[in-house]
Amino acid sequence: MTIKKIGPTTLERWVDSLIGQQRVFGAQAQGDKFAFAPLTQAARLRLDYDVAVTAPKAFLQPPCETLLRFGARGYESVLDTEPFVLFGVHPYDAVGILQMDTVFAEGQPDIHYLTRRAQATLVVCDVQNASPNVFAGCMNTAVLEEGGDVLLTRINDDYLVEGRSAKGEALMKALASEPEAEAGDLQFRKMVWDHNRQLLRRHELKVKPEDLPAMLDKSYDHPVWEEKSKRCFSCGSCNLVCPTCYCFNVREDVRWDLQNGERVRTWDGCMLTEFALVAGGHNFRRKKAERYRHRYYRKGKYLYDQHRQIACVGCGRCIGACVAKIANPVEVYNRLAEGPR
Amino acid sequence: MDKPRVAIFDFACCEGCQLQIVNLEEELLDVLTLIQPVEWREALSDQSDTYDIAIVEGSITRPEDEEKLREIRAPAAILIALGACATMGGINKLKNNFAMDEVRAEVYGKDGSMPHLNTLPTRALDEVVKVDLKIHGCPINNREFAYILRCLALGKTPAIPNYPVCVECKMRGTVCRYEYNEICLGPVTRAGCNAPCPSAGFWCFGCRGYVDDPNVQAAREVMEHYGKTMDDLKSRLLLFGSGQEPTS
Repeated sequence: MTIKKIGPTTLERWVDSLIGQQRVFGAQAQGDKFAFAPLTQAARLRLDYDVAVTAPKAFLQPPCETLLRFGARGYESVLDTEPFVLFGVHPYDAVGILQMDTVFAEGQPDIHYLTRRAQATLVVCDVQNASPNVFAGCMNTAVLEEGGDVLLTRINDDYLVEGRSAKGEALMKALASEPEAEAGDLQFRKMVWDHNRQLLRRHELKVKPEDLPAMLDKSYDHPVWEEKSKRCFSCGSCNLVCPTCYCFNVREDVRWDLQNGERVRTWDGCMLTEFALVAGGHNFRRKKAERYRHRYYRKGKYLYDQHRQIACVGCGRCIGACVAKIANPVEVYNRLAEGPR
Repeated sequence: MDKPRVAIFDFACCEGCQLQIVNLEEELLDVLTLIQPVEWREALSDQSDTYDIAIVEGSITRPEDEEKLREIRAPAAILIALGACATMGGINKLKNNFAMDEVRAEVYGKDGSMPHLNTLPTRALDEVVKVDLKIHGCPINNREFAYILRCLALGKTPAIPNYPVCVECKMRGTVCRYEYNEICLGPVTRAGCNAPCPSAGFWCFGCRGYVDDPNVQAAREVMEHYGKTMDDLKSRLLLFGSGQEPTS
């Protein structure tokens, strides 16, 4: 695969040419924060952003999407088949997306996600500024060792652009005449990676991520669940900002003719009171503490048991989003590491 | 099947919720395919004592209101409370923080003691009669009203959110007001409005009422973290939260 070295003007020209070819969603300033939004010109791209308010997974599993339309004559699935580029995804968010790829492909493959995913080109960009709560360095997600379609790394004023897939190479066609990165540049990139592994540690996890499942296995009755969850609003914010949370609810609404309508799915979260409410009015996680514990088990054990990956990428969004300040996974896991009290 | 006869009534309120129904505008003709309005002050000159569904906005604030509401309830198979005044008393319940004599003197001065100005502590409809369904908000969200109407026509229970407004802020990518050290009632308030206030940079007033199990204690405990006091929180809860009963 190719690794090119380009200057800021070339980068801008390249991005502008991509905008003319397909939908590009890029990291941009939004008030005093950053967000992924449709990119209208390369100059608006902010690859120096610290964290995007909403994880870019939202472009693959939107907060609200129509799954199918139905009527008297049957139904028809709704699929998004238009190509698009997610430009400037941070490594930890890319890891989140790669995990969602696994989840939505297994069992009954989710055609809505997979179709949209097949149209997506993921341009990953190494982090330039750490956000206030990031701890990706502790979760081995500060750097994306493999995966994604293109990897951008800032080297002084220039960028190294690595094609990581056929799709990525195709996107880089316009850069064919640009110079290849030299050994010194690659050396520098390695330094950036090492630096980021240290930089993205605003909270320090005292256990290795791979030890979390065994630790959680022993912590089911730990007092921390009851203690912390007393303050829980059951607002689901920690779920909804999480790059690896993918749970959804499905609803139907009809038009005024009461015949034709849509089936819609929306984001859901296991911290919400009615998440586990089933037919007959039974709720199998009725208590706040049960829901609160479930989230940490889901991230640190249940998904690991299935896919051998810890479902926390250390973006730190939940820490910021929780009004009650009880959602910091590092704080909870460190507390468990101290032992049973 | 005959279309259900629907009567819309109002008590103490600004009538902004029935105006929200009128605001469905081009969809009003669609509404008429499902129901037959027989009384609706803002849109119809007819009146009727026979109807299947009564939609009632406003809150109960005078002795004669109570009697009138019972009369409205009697023939109705279904009574729907429309908007915050009807579902929980709304801002009219601010009155309940004062003595009734004080309130009358404040509003009417020396005439305050005249008998026709008699007033009672504000009550939501379900503090007086049985309410079958509540449509929340100040004003109501008319998209939600339309959805509920279609559900009723299908004999289906409408899905009214029982989660906080925070969910809708997160779905919209709205930055939390607390990140700017501002008290917002979103974490204890029922969603369904699609969070227009925080998304416009303003805190949630709590106009849809509390979720079924609001963690008000947590709201108290987090004030310190944001450099706020209990009085700051109370001042925000006062508007829609004065003497608020469960809203489900």
